[in-house]
Parts: sequence; C-alpha cells; structure tokens
Amino acid sequence: MPRERHIMGLFRDEDSVVSAINELKQSRYKFIRVNTPFPSHKIMDALKLKKSMVGWFTLCGGILGFIGGFGLAVYASTQWNLIVGGKPVIAWVPFVIVGFEATILCSVFGNVIGLLTQARLPSYRWLRYYDPRCSGEYFGVLAACEIEQEDGLKEFFQKQGADVKVFE
Amino acid sequence: MSQLTYAKIDQTILNTLTPPKKYYWGIIFLLFLGVMIGAACWTHQIFTGIGVGGQNNPVGWGTYLINFVFWVGIAHSGTLISAILHLFRAGWRNPIARAAETMTVFAVCIAGLFPFIHLGRVWQVYYMLPVPNQRLLWPNFLSPLMFDVIAISTYLTVSSLFWYTGLLPDIAAIRDRSTCNRYKIFKILALGWTGAHEQWRHYARGYLFFAALATPLVISVHSVVSWDFALGIIPGWHTTIFAPYFVAGAIHSGLAMVLTLMIPLRKLFKYEDIITIEVLQNVAKTIVFTGLIVGLAYGTEFFIAWYSRNIVEVEQFRWRAFGDYRWGFYFMVLCNTMAPLLFLFKKVRTTIAALFIISLVINFGMWWERFVIIVGGVAHGFPPHAWGLYAPSLIEYGIMLGAFCLFFFMFVLFVKHMPSISMTEMKETLAEGAGHAA
Amino acid sequence: MSENGKKTMAKQKSNKFWVFLILVAIGAATFIFGLNGRHPERAWQAYLINFLLWSAIAQGAVLFSAVMHMTKARWSGPLSGLSESFTAFFPISYILFLLLFLGKAHIFPWLHEDLHGKEVWLNIPFLFTRDCIGLLILYILGFGYLFNAMQLKLDPNQPKSKLRQSIYDAWKRNNRQPDQIRRRMTIWGGLYILAFALVLCLIGFDLIMSMDPHWISTLFGAYHFVKAFYMGLGALIILAAIIRLRQGEASRLNASHFHDIGKLYFAFCLLWADFFYVQLLVIYYGNIPEETHYVIIRTVLAPWNKLAWTVFIVCFIGPFFILLRQGVKTKPVLMLIICSVVIVGLWLEHLLLLAPALSHEATQAIPLSLSDGLISLGFLGLMAFAIGYFLKVFPETIRVKESN
Repeated sequence: MPRERHIMGLFRDEDSVVSAINELKQSRYKFIRVNTPFPSHKIMDALKLKKSMVGWFTLCGGILGFIGGFGLAVYASTQWNLIVGGKPVIAWVPFVIVGFEATILCSVFGNVIGLLTQARLPSYRWLRYYDPRCSGEYFGVLAACEIEQEDGLKEFFQKQGADVKVFE
Repeated sequence: MSQLTYAKIDQTILNTLTPPKKYYWGIIFLLFLGVMIGAACWTHQIFTGIGVGGQNNPVGWGTYLINFVFWVGIAHSGTLISAILHLFRAGWRNPIARAAETMTVFAVCIAGLFPFIHLGRVWQVYYMLPVPNQRLLWPNFLSPLMFDVIAISTYLTVSSLFWYTGLLPDIAAIRDRSTCNRYKIFKILALGWTGAHEQWRHYARGYLFFAALATPLVISVHSVVSWDFALGIIPGWHTTIFAPYFVAGAIHSGLAMVLTLMIPLRKLFKYEDIITIEVLQNVAKTIVFTGLIVGLAYGTEFFIAWYSRNIVEVEQFRWRAFGDYRWGFYFMVLCNTMAPLLFLFKKVRTTIAALFIISLVINFGMWWERFVIIVGGVAHGFPPHAWGLYAPSLIEYGIMLGAFCLFFFMFVLFVKHMPSISMTEMKETLAEGAGHAA
Repeated sequence: MSENGKKTMAKQKSNKFWVFLILVAIGAATFIFGLNGRHPERAWQAYLINFLLWSAIAQGAVLFSAVMHMTKARWSGPLSGLSESFTAFFPISYILFLLLFLGKAHIFPWLHEDLHGKEVWLNIPFLFTRDCIGLLILYILGFGYLFNAMQLKLDPNQPKSKLRQSIYDAWKRNNRQPDQIRRRMTIWGGLYILAFALVLCLIGFDLIMSMDPHWISTLFGAYHFVKAFYMGLGALIILAAIIRLRQGEASRLNASHFHDIGKLYFAFCLLWADFFYVQLLVIYYGNIPEETHYVIIRTVLAPWNKLAWTVFIVCFIGPFFILLRQGVKTKPVLMLIICSVVIVGLWLEHLLLLAPALSHEATQAIPLSLSDGLISLGFLGLMAFAIGYFLKVFPETIRVKESN
C-alpha cells in the first residue's frame, strides 16, 4: 500500500516492549509484529497468541511413519515368505523397532514441514521490514501508519524510549 | 554470569568467527593428513579386500565394530544435553548445547562410516537398502543389522535437522553482522529468519517437539546398536541388560568427550564467563552417575554369570577377568567406574586439568569396554576348539586414526565458521535469570 | 481456624484412621483365614505380591525427593515433602518382610528342588540375612535423609507430640546451619539412591526372578527398580491429588506441579515399557529354551497370556495415549484415576511374574480371587495409615515453605 509508512521502534529491554505493544494496540496505529533476538516469554504472553499448529503436522507424520515402518517390514518379509532364523514370517516383536524408528523419523519430517510452512520459511520477504539490530540486543516493534501520521508514530516510539527506524 | 549482557554474549561468540591465525590452519592441515591416511588405508582395503584387517575366525568383528559403537556412543550425550536436559529445563546445559549437538552430528557421521568400511566391498551396500530392484530382493528386517541401518540413518537425519533448527536464529545473527560473501552465504542459510514473533511462536513449539522426539530416539538407537550383540546367542553377548547398559555407557563416554572438547575450546575462545566452572562441574557430576550405572551393569553381569551356574557363562566371565584380554578388562573397570569417582571430590571437579585428564581416561576406558565386550565375546564362545584371539592390523589402525582425525577436523572447522555457543539460548538464559532476580 | 473447625478437622482425621485400621483388619483376617484354608500358598502369594508392591511404592516415592535434591531441581516444591512422607511405611515394610520368613515353605518353590549348585545363593538363611541387611541399610539411609530434610521444613510453632519433641531436641543438639543440612541431605540422598539401585536389584533377583530358579535375565533387577520408581511416582501423584482436592489452594500445589510430575510419570511409563520390551526382545530372538520357557508360559500360553495383554494395555498402552494430551496431566482427579489403575495393573504384573512359578496347578484359570483383593486392601490400609500418621505428626509437609 503506497500510502502506508512502516516504522520500527527498537527497544533494549522486554518490559518497555510489552508496554509499547499494549499502548500501540490501543492507539490508531497498526501493530504488525515484534522482532526479538530470542523467544521472550514476557513478550509472547503479552501478545496472547494462539497455540501453534505445528504439533498436528508432527502427529500426522508420526502416524504415517508408524504405519509405513511396520508396512515396509511386513511387506519385505512377505515377499521372501520363508521362515528365517526360527521366527515367523511376520514377526511383530522385532518389527516394533522398525516401526518405532520410522515413527520418530516421520514425526520429525512432519515437525520440520510444519515449522517451515507455519513460520513461512524460507522467504526473504521477512527481511523487507527488518533491522539487523533485532538479532543482537534490540527488540524491534514494527508498526504502520498513514504517511501523514508518520511523525506522530515516530514521536510515540521516541516517548517510549526507543530508537526509531523508518522504512521506505 | 552476572557481568554478561546481550552485547557481550554476541561479541564473545562473534569474536571466535574472525579470520583464524596461522597455527589454526596448521592444525587443520595435520588433521587432514590424518584423514588422508585413513582414506588411503580404506582405499587399500577396498582394492585388496576385507582380509587386510585383523578379523578372521573366530573374531569376525574387530575395531570396525568397536569404533562404530564408540562413535555412536559419543553422539548420544550430545542429544542428551541438547534434548533431554532441555526437557528437564536444566539451564546449565545452555552454554554447551550447541557444541554438544555438533559433536553428535559429526560423531554419527563417523559412526555411519564404519559399517560401510566393514562391508569390504562397499558397493554391495545396495543389499541393505529397501528399494525395489530387479533382483526382486528386499532386506531382511528381522536382522539387527537392518535395525542399525534404520536407526542410524534416522538418528543422523533427526540430529542434523535438530542441529540446523537450533542454529537458525544464530545464523541470522551472523548474517546481520556480515558483509560481502559471508553475508550472501549466511543469507541463504538463514532462510529469511528475522526473529518475528510469528516465527518464534512456531519455532518454540517445533523445538520442543524435536527435543521430545529426540529423547526416545537416543535410547532406542543405542539399544539397537547393543542388539547387534545381544540378539546373538553367544555368552557374554546374549544378555538382557545390554540395551540400558549401552545407553548409559554411551552417555558416559559422550559426556567425557564433551569435557575433552569444551575445556580447550573455552580456553582458546575465552568462553570462561559463559562456559563457567559450574557447567563443567555439572557435567562431571553427571559422569559420576553414569559411571555408577555402568559399574552396576558390570557387577550384575558377573553376578548373574555366577548365579546361573552355566559353565559356558561362568567360563566366559572367568576368562574376561583373568584371560588373554584381562588388561582390557582392568582398563575398563578402572577408567570407567573408578576414575569418575574422583569427581565426587569438589577439588577435583573444579580443577580444569583434572577434568581434562579424567575425561581422556574415561574415553580410553570406554574404548576398551567395547573391545572387551565385542572381541571378548566372539573370541571365547561355546566350543573351546573355536577359541581364538585377535589383534588389529596396521590398516585398521590407519582407519581408526583417520576416523579420529576426521571428527576433530570437522569439529575444528565448525568452531571457527559457525557459532560454537548458542547466542540465542544464552540471551534467553540471561533474560530468564534477570526475570528470576526481579 | 475456629475451635469448631479444628474439632471437626480432628474428628475427620481420626475417622480416617479408623477407616484405615478397618481395612487392615479385613486384610489380616482374610489372610489368616486363607492360611488355615486348603491353599495357604495362595494367601502367601498374595502377601508376597503385596509386600513387593507396596514396599516398592514407598521406596520409589522417597527416591523422588532424593533425586530432586541431588539434581537441585526447583520445580518440585511441596511434592518433595509429600514424597518424604512415604518413609513412614518403611518400618511397616521391614516387619512385613520379617513375617515373610514364616511362610517360607509356601513361598519359595526351590526349597525342595535340585538347584544344581545354586544352593550357595538360594538358601533360606543367606537369602533372609542379605535381604534383611539390604533393606535395613536402605531404610536407615532413607530415614537419615528424612531427618535432615525435615529439619529444613520444620515449623517450630506446631504443638509438639512426644515424637516431635524428641526429634526436635535431636536437631537442637546438632545445631546445624541450613547449608550444612543441605550438604548432609546430598550425602544421605546420594547414598539412598545408590542403595535403592543395589537393594532393589537384589530384591528383584531374590524374591521374583529366583522363583523360577533356572531362569536368568540380567536386566531383571534394574527392571524392578524402574518399576518401583514408576509406581512410586504414581502413588505420589495420587497423594498430591488427594491433598489438592481436599485443601485446594492451601495445599500450594498448582497445575504446573501436576503437569511436571505428570510428564515425569509419562517418561517412566515409557522407560518401564522399554525395560520390559528389551528383555522380551532378547529372549524372543535368541530363542534359547532355558530362557524362553519363562516368557512363553507368561505371554503365549493360556491362561497367562490374557493377563499379560491386560498388564501391557493397562500399564503402557492406556497411559501412553491418555497422557499424551497435555490437559489430562493438569487435572488431579484424572491423574488420580489413571495412576490408581496403573498401580492395579502393576499388581497384576507381579501376579503374572510370580504366580506361574508359585501356583503350578493353575493351568485353567488365573489364581486370582476376592481374597487377593481383600488382602491387598489390608496393605492399602497399612500404607494409608502410615502416610496419614506422618502427615498428622508433621503437618508442615503439606504447608511447606519453599526453603529447598
């Protein structure tokens, strides 16, 4: 949107970030996101986010892996279809190991797919409104406003005690 | 720890990534030479045949298996530290988690080489891969060796993904402080990570699942490795205690390797404020615990062999303590259970030199434990006429040297090009510490 | 609290004690009745199973506090104190073990067998001597740990009974600083953990594995102590749930405590199942008749296979899928039910391990009847009485200040 200006306020401690976010949400400016160098519990709690869906991807992966692992072992055994080592053709006790490992493997794949899709990675679009200081010691709160209100928003951040970065 | 700030953490760790001095490249070169020796020996073996190794009848499994188990064992404590201690919310693991996880990934890579080396005719590995083929053959999933294939490849995949996921925020931090080529490389590696709350929300959940999944994986992988032996029927091998015994032993040797790696690292990189003596003490205390478990296992095996009144079992264990390889047994007991008891004394736990030397002693002892179990089992089985001895050949020594050098080569390369301490987790620890104090 | 309130509380408490004593009486009466019946070995079998089960529960529960102290964990809070209350069962367990001697003819199947040399280890005098000494050491270490741990919690303003007074005087005589006390706790706790592993291994080998004297499994001892910790955690959760349900906020037990100990319980459910599977796999795969006969009787042949599947589903499959959900772990009522069911399942597991060796005639039906249940109620009464008595003498266990 050409008539919107994005401004990031860079804070040095979590508490001022939390108060800034709360005030921002009540103001006429649009709160977009906060970039932090580590996952801060205080900030995440203040944002009141919904629980992540990554777990469901992991579970689906796990179920597929469980069935797949046992399936592979059973299929391979039935293709040979002879008694080996005194064990039955379909020997459930040892096949538990194959099933178990496959469950873990596919759960992890599910976990990774879930993580990437939900967090929208990889994507360089995240870097559009980003200040490199946010991976160091600063917490960056990104807000948007109309071009006319630019100064108002800048002042808002400066009053909270933050450094300001304006994005073109 | 109290003088640490976010900036100081960043600075200390990023300082380690500056262009290295000359002697660094000297070390890399020497290690590379060692790797080349190992590669040359392996190449010789591929062209000449597996017979250049010392294994024969009755001892068909020698240093290749010993090293396999040794390196998988080392890998385990990395996952213990990064995954299991994360689940227990033990904060002392944060400074060493990254290096430990790295140790895991590299150790699994090395371990995975050994079954491959042991094939002799390495191109025949396709027999073990479950893919449809024109021979209409599938691998036999009843075999513990196939369990190994599945377990080790799962472990390698999961560890690498876990490791990379953990590295991601740190890679972004380095991207933000790099220029030119380094910036380009790290920009790609960082996948666009910016620490946005939408990203952290999913990341934290995903990381928790990683830790929760890696934990049973760790236990199952080394149990699977132990079943390479326990599912056979020979005395000294066929015993139910192997799975937890091997897992405990793996963590024991891995923690010792963590100390071996961390102590020089912290000195050279000036990490003393981050990897404090407290952290090293906690590792030492855990080593006492795992050492006692391993000692309990040794004692139980002997007790049950005696209790069973089975002449074959009794003979196997009599020979283990008094026979041809008794020195390996003495090393095993002294280095693995007696030496760690020194860590009960605070003076020993807080002396850097003592920590380092004992960690080397433990690794030495753990190698001998695998020797006593693996070689001892097959050398002295059921029929006395089939008893025989084993000694590694020069080729095997060469490959072993190559493996050790490869591990340190990869690790030394890593610590100079990637952050060896997790900046993100250290900052998190700092913030939580301040939160507690407030 | 008003005078009336205090009186009602005291009355409720003494009512509780009467209920427990009635349970004990029922159990004792059933046991003695069984002894004089046609199958005294059935009564002794029930006695042995219950002795092993309840002792393991107490030993495992106390281990929790020792482990929390050794690892300097901070999340346990009041749970550590509650786990220490299980030490009250230790003297009762010891007496029960000594009484076991009376039933030796009915308990040990190897008494009249040819043991091919195992008599060196499996003979009554040696077995009882070593197990008595082992249990004594374990219980003394437990009490030593308790003595120091209670000192940090003691509220000197509580009214003093004779017992409290003598303990309090002992503490005053020693006159130690909190740091010294914590160090001593570390030493006693560490020794308790060591003794726990060794003594429970010994008990596992002597009182369970040796019932089939020609079978061995090196992991069996460790399997017993992992089972003990699993059960101990379950009992601790049950106790914590009861306290929470009766006292609400005043118990200082909140959802995060239940969540954390629920997760630990889940982990030990997995570990117990792992130790079970590990033995099963090695024996199944080796297919050596010396080893497989034990497993085949219990898992493949009727009537025991049904019991084996029941145990597996109740103690592993059920808790695994139920406890995967986070919400379940934080609800005390649900956890109370789940942990109780699991303990019943592990009672059945002891039956599965012991009964095929002790009741050779049982080929059609599992030797399980009402009398077994009543005897078990008696033991439950003993345990409840012991814990209730402890909590009465040391009420600050529940209302602990976070000095640990």
